[in-house]
Amino acid sequence: MGGAVAGVDFALIGHQESWRAAADVLAVLRGKERTPLPESEIRDILPWIPPRVVCHVEVRSIGGANAHGVYVDSFIPPGRLDAVWTHDNLARVRAAAECAIQAGAGIVSLGGFSSILIEGNFDQLPERRATVFTTGNTLTVAFIVQGVRKMCALEGRDLRRSTLLLVGATGDVGSGCARCLAQEVRRVLLYARNVERLRRLAAELEAESVEVEIATDLQQLHARADIVICAASLASPSLLLGRIAPDALICDAGYPKNLAPGADLPEATVFFGGLGQVAGGMAFSPDFRGVLNRHPFPDVAHGCLLEGMTLALEGRFEPFSRGRGFITPRRVDEIGAIAARHGIHLAPFHNAAGPIEELSACGARGAIQ
Amino acid sequence: METVIGLGCPSARECTAPLPAAPIWQDVLAQAVTGELVAAMNYSALAEVCEDPEEVSEALEHAEVERGHAAAFAAEGRAIGVEVADNTDAIHWKRLRESFMRCIAERDFIGCLIVQEIMLESFAVASYARVGKVAPGSMGGTFAAIAAEEGEHVDHAMDILRAERARDRQRFDEKMHRLHLDVMTTLARMLAKECRDGHCEVCHADCVKPALFDISLSAAELRGASLQQYLKTLDRLGLPGEVTLQWVAQLPV
Repeated sequence: MGGAVAGVDFALIGHQESWRAAADVLAVLRGKERTPLPESEIRDILPWIPPRVVCHVEVRSIGGANAHGVYVDSFIPPGRLDAVWTHDNLARVRAAAECAIQAGAGIVSLGGFSSILIEGNFDQLPERRATVFTTGNTLTVAFIVQGVRKMCALEGRDLRRSTLLLVGATGDVGSGCARCLAQEVRRVLLYARNVERLRRLAAELEAESVEVEIATDLQQLHARADIVICAASLASPSLLLGRIAPDALICDAGYPKNLAPGADLPEATVFFGGLGQVAGGMAFSPDFRGVLNRHPFPDVAHGCLLEGMTLALEGRFEPFSRGRGFITPRRVDEIGAIAARHGIHLAPFHNAAGPIEELSACGARGAIQ
Repeated sequence: METVIGLGCPSARECTAPLPAAPIWQDVLAQAVTGELVAAMNYSALAEVCEDPEEVSEALEHAEVERGHAAAFAAEGRAIGVEVADNTDAIHWKRLRESFMRCIAERDFIGCLIVQEIMLESFAVASYARVGKVAPGSMGGTFAAIAAEEGEHVDHAMDILRAERARDRQRFDEKMHRLHLDVMTTLARMLAKECRDGHCEVCHADCVKPALFDISLSAAELRGASLQQYLKTLDRLGLPGEVTLQWVAQLPV
């Protein structure tokens, strides 16, 4: 684990979602004067790198405040996100958490798969004194919900007449999105692997007079979704084929992305959700701009990571998102308002093919390139 | 310090059964014996520049322990019916030895500890531990036991080096980086998946690396484990993780 850095405001724990992304990180570390490593070498080397601080991050609020943090990579290899590696990956996240504690972080955001691993296992985080952990899922939900609403408005879709499908519905992010949007749509379809959790979430929503259908297999669903939020922990490239309206609006909020590039959804509108943009800007040292945050717009990051930065800027060092299933519309509104106060807003829309908003006249339709 | 491998190991241990992979183990053992002999030479040289009689005694003791390790590995070779050669003048080992001797020439006790205990022992601890898991019969136990003993050497040096770093962090880290560029570059070339500098002059025939798969090992695994051990050792010393990651990422592959 990395050496001590004297007291930082926040730490972000993350990992790379693809070998290409990992190669880019190592290329920055090697420096421009050295030949980038071929992917075969990256695949051999990366699994051996112990979790550690990779760079320092500075984030600026539009209110004038600055917060200083570190990015800690758990170096979970991109090919090892499935269940068979859970034990190893948990150990990596724990070690990364140790790095964050050693760095003296006031608050730690658990990015991407780290948050999925830990949301049900908070007790497995190492002992800490002055460091609090947040999964960051509440701000992720806030940006997903804002994104769906905004995209519907842009495309002239009537949310109230829509059927919403949540993929990964019983996860922290999926269930949070369900609670936030259930009252705004005509019907909710919940899809996840655990039937007991599905039933519990369905009962909770039905108690609020929401029309709900559940399934552990998409083939079981009778209704056809026209809005989809993908918040599962694993990519399933052909998951949605034939199971949704051809012109559906799809928010892929997974990390890694649930829909692989090349997914054949020619009529659908696909956008990446759960992302925010920092108006005051972010700086990395060494310069990992566009490498750690691989988006076509500057100063964009995942909501889970931005939640830690937001809370640090606000001086609220508290485990805002903790455990699984506690995200409520009130908490989502609260973190959204705090973020907005510091100039952290919903990121411009994009998908694997690039920016979307500029293309909104012809939509973001077509296969993900 | 007590050694788990005595110097009195049999000179002609009985060959139990011929191993189909004996020629591969012959080369693995040859690297280990050579490394131990280089370590023994390094500790002997260190004894000559130590000022504290206790340090002199410890260095000489370490040299004896390393010679014991070399003898134990050689005995494991005989046990499987192969004669294990050594070559401390082989291309990479000679360079590593020269790096250490530059520290000796400068009477740089701390530099010597960094090269031997942090860099070379990280490599030994990690690779012996991996080999120990797959080596047949008593050889596995020997590798594992020696890995544990080399780990104790690292622990011993750690206290001295931490204290030295606490005295002047910047100076220590600069020295560490300078030695890293020298020694770890050589080690990285030695550990590369393919030998790009020609024959290593230790393997008895062709390079053993491609054949390591036949004994459930790989050059990539040994390199990965060694560099991981090195990074963790630097972490224990308190060097910033983001800095040491950059150092390792910049090594040749």
